[in-house]
Amino acid sequence: MNANSERLKTAKDLRDIFLSNNSKELFEAFSSLLEDTNISEIELETDFNYYFVGPDTPIAPPYASIYLDEEDSLMTKTTMQIRDLYEIMGFKNSLKDKVPEDFIGLELDAYYQLLFIEIEKEIPYLKDLRTYFLCEHIDTWIFKFINRVLEHQDKNSNAIILIIKKLDNFFKNELKIKGEIL
Amino acid sequence: MSYSKEKVESILNDGLQRRGFLKGLVACGVLSVLPGGRLLANESLNTKIPYLGKKSYETFRNACPRNCYDTCSIKTFVKDGVMQFIEGATESTFTRGGCCVKGNTYARRVYSPKRIKYPMMQIGGKGSGSWKRISWDEAISHIGDNLLNMKKEDGHLLGAALTKYSGNFGITHYGVEGMFNSIGYTTRFGGTPCWPAGIDAQNFDTGNMWCNDPEEIKDSKYIILWGVNPASNSIHTMKYIYEAKRKGAKVIVIDPLFTETASKANEYFQVKAGSDGLLALAMAKIIVENNLHDKKWLKKNSHGYKEYEKYLKTISVKKAAEVSGLSEELIKEIALGFAKADPATIWIGYGLQRHTNGGAMVRAIDALVALTGNVGKYAGGARYGHLNTWGFNYNAMTNPKPEGSIGYTASGAVMGDVHGAGSGEKVKYSDRYLNINKTADGILTAADPKIKLLWVACKNPMAQDFDRNKLIKAFNTIETIVVADQFFNETTKWADIVLPVTTQFEEYDVNVSYWHYWLSLNEQAIKPLHEAKSDLEIASLLSTYMNKKEKGSCTFPQKYNSKKTTIKEFNNGIYEQFGIKSWKDLRDGPVKAKAVIPFADGKFSTPSGKFEFYSEKAVEFGHTALPEYLEVRKPYDKYRLTTLHSRFSLHSQFQNLDWMEDVHPEPFVYINPEDATFKRIKTGDMVAVFNKQGLLRVKAKVTDNTPVGTFMMYEQWFNNSIYNVNELVDDTSSDMGSFKTGAPGIALQDTYVNVRKI
Repeated sequence: MNANSERLKTAKDLRDIFLSNNSKELFEAFSSLLEDTNISEIELETDFNYYFVGPDTPIAPPYASIYLDEEDSLMTKTTMQIRDLYEIMGFKNSLKDKVPEDFIGLELDAYYQLLFIEIEKEIPYLKDLRTYFLCEHIDTWIFKFINRVLEHQDKNSNAIILIIKKLDNFFKNELKIKGEIL
Repeated sequence: MSYSKEKVESILNDGLQRRGFLKGLVACGVLSVLPGGRLLANESLNTKIPYLGKKSYETFRNACPRNCYDTCSIKTFVKDGVMQFIEGATESTFTRGGCCVKGNTYARRVYSPKRIKYPMMQIGGKGSGSWKRISWDEAISHIGDNLLNMKKEDGHLLGAALTKYSGNFGITHYGVEGMFNSIGYTTRFGGTPCWPAGIDAQNFDTGNMWCNDPEEIKDSKYIILWGVNPASNSIHTMKYIYEAKRKGAKVIVIDPLFTETASKANEYFQVKAGSDGLLALAMAKIIVENNLHDKKWLKKNSHGYKEYEKYLKTISVKKAAEVSGLSEELIKEIALGFAKADPATIWIGYGLQRHTNGGAMVRAIDALVALTGNVGKYAGGARYGHLNTWGFNYNAMTNPKPEGSIGYTASGAVMGDVHGAGSGEKVKYSDRYLNINKTADGILTAADPKIKLLWVACKNPMAQDFDRNKLIKAFNTIETIVVADQFFNETTKWADIVLPVTTQFEEYDVNVSYWHYWLSLNEQAIKPLHEAKSDLEIASLLSTYMNKKEKGSCTFPQKYNSKKTTIKEFNNGIYEQFGIKSWKDLRDGPVKAKAVIPFADGKFSTPSGKFEFYSEKAVEFGHTALPEYLEVRKPYDKYRLTTLHSRFSLHSQFQNLDWMEDVHPEPFVYINPEDATFKRIKTGDMVAVFNKQGLLRVKAKVTDNTPVGTFMMYEQWFNNSIYNVNELVDDTSSDMGSFKTGAPGIALQDTYVNVRKI
């Protein structure tokens, strides 16, 4: 697998992890991202929910607004800016007004799909928007989110640390190469 | 940098460039090759020049459905499908454009990242914290199968219990009870933890609980705020109190605690808790001795006055002074001041009746108001509350039981399948009722059948029900606990399944108050966040599932429409009372009921048709006929503990929001300096407050707002804290409540504790 295909696969796996609806989807995406782990499906999900979903207050709510707007709130100015950006990218949020556009699952979804049309379909029309999205938005919050998880390792969850490290590496690399297609 | 920030931002912010870019996007075929995800290719992309200027707000009518005197009428401002902020409705003279500190956080509440987002199952066992996300289908089928299996095994559903109360007082939310009605005869936690002793007291006296319009207070000449703290918990009423005060009225606060309201009054009288009834009787004695009672009113409108007057002769003002802590002179001063003013009114708080003698004390105060002819008078009245504007259809509650349902008989025994066979008599069944104020005890002692499934809605029992440790023990005996809530709390911690429910901004409803006389429509302003569903939609899903599995097993409507459900609550009586032609009129703003002064026509719904100083009905329920002095519960530990509502929360609601946590981050036990010195405690010290029930570790705050010998702790729940005052409160009953609410109230103000510095 070449470097671009590898990037695409990682983006898709990370997206599928954060957009998963249940244990099975989560475990499939996790297993695709990280082979050779001995983490069980249930252990993965309960840890994942503890950190990111709930029902108790999640350790690290996976929404950009939490880290950018200095407010403990969703659907903020940041959310609206990302909503606008998606519109220009040609996206329609199937979960509009229910799930904020700056939810990490949707941001990874957007980033993966844009990367896909450039790598697989060789259409560079949205490249500037993708790199703008990466450098001017994702970069401003994703590492704060990652750090919040790393600072709260009370659950001692290998699975979550592995996911977060993959996320960290992925975006660090994307930023290092400034989102260029190699 | 491989991209031009300026170029991208000009596409975003310049209408012409944006249009050109989007046209290019369509032309180069991007939309047809996007692989898809939750973000889909927008096939109906708008390539017209967009309007990028300031957008106006859409506005919606809403109401605060919390269990609060003020039930604010709200105007909600929405932009791009997102609620931006709310205002108090200006059309309501009561709300008058302003909400309280809690109401103003609503946008924060709706969009809190702490909301429960999905149905979830606690797979590691109750309290384990190991949660699995499940779909709505999975949640409903799990619950539905549980109920159907229970019916198959037991022949009835009495093992399924519902505890639901005032977390959402919207009228359609009575559909939760409707859901339980529609599956068969079940177990219900009946009664009310709020005001039952007072309700009974007022019903013994007047045949009703019906207070004057609070907006009249502005014209009262003498106002006694008796055990009530509106500056904290009914801020909208304060403007009428201030106005009356400005016009020369005397405002008196009688309370064991020096409250925010006490600080605003002309005079504050610190009484010993539980002595209020004797104080009222002593005041009445003084009024009669000074010939200031309203003989004309009494003759025309009262029953048993002679007996009452005779009883007053046995009351010792000296003893009242000793018991209440006020001097005889002060008692006389208040009594004469009250009797000479016209009109004069007393607002009786709910804390006052949460004593073992609470109902008797309310009756004594009612009698004082009647004695002076202030019942049935504009700006007068013994104000406690009312349900006079609550005459809705309760349509969602009216579902019949499924055919063949088996339940309790009048004798209280569960009947088997063959009971009554061949007798020719139709057996009349009922639900099994357990006292909502003894939830833990009810669960632990329920037998034949035991409670196997508990559904919790609009309620946080761990925060609201008493004896926390017993309640945890009780919850652990139940196979399946389902909690429908907006936020995680101490009850959801012990749940097996949590279901995310909507806020009032995500559904239609209609609201009225138990204090003021306004009616508000609640419109759906935004889509439900995440996967939240209304209590009624959940009921519809359950009905659909159960009927699919077993036709006729649930009579709840299977189709849900929030707006249509709300419209069904209106009737001609409501339209007539509020002077509107249709519910649609409420889109223009809240409306007020036509003015009526309670009992002004001299008609009381008591057996005698009059105000009853002497109540045979009270005797029927085991009380004295007259509002006699009843001693309060004897101390069983060193200090009295009193527990109040905080202005930063409504029971356990709101306190978990970041804004509230900023201003009110942690709980305290408030201790008088004299007691603190004796125990060598300083403000900020961590102390253990304990009694026979349990032990709480909490910081101390030394203040003379609390009297010597009495500690104060707020009732509320704090996020990420094990603080819960119900660790210390037992489930001892107050004296009244069974007459009108089916079960006695709770004497939570008669809790005693000790303290030590840790």
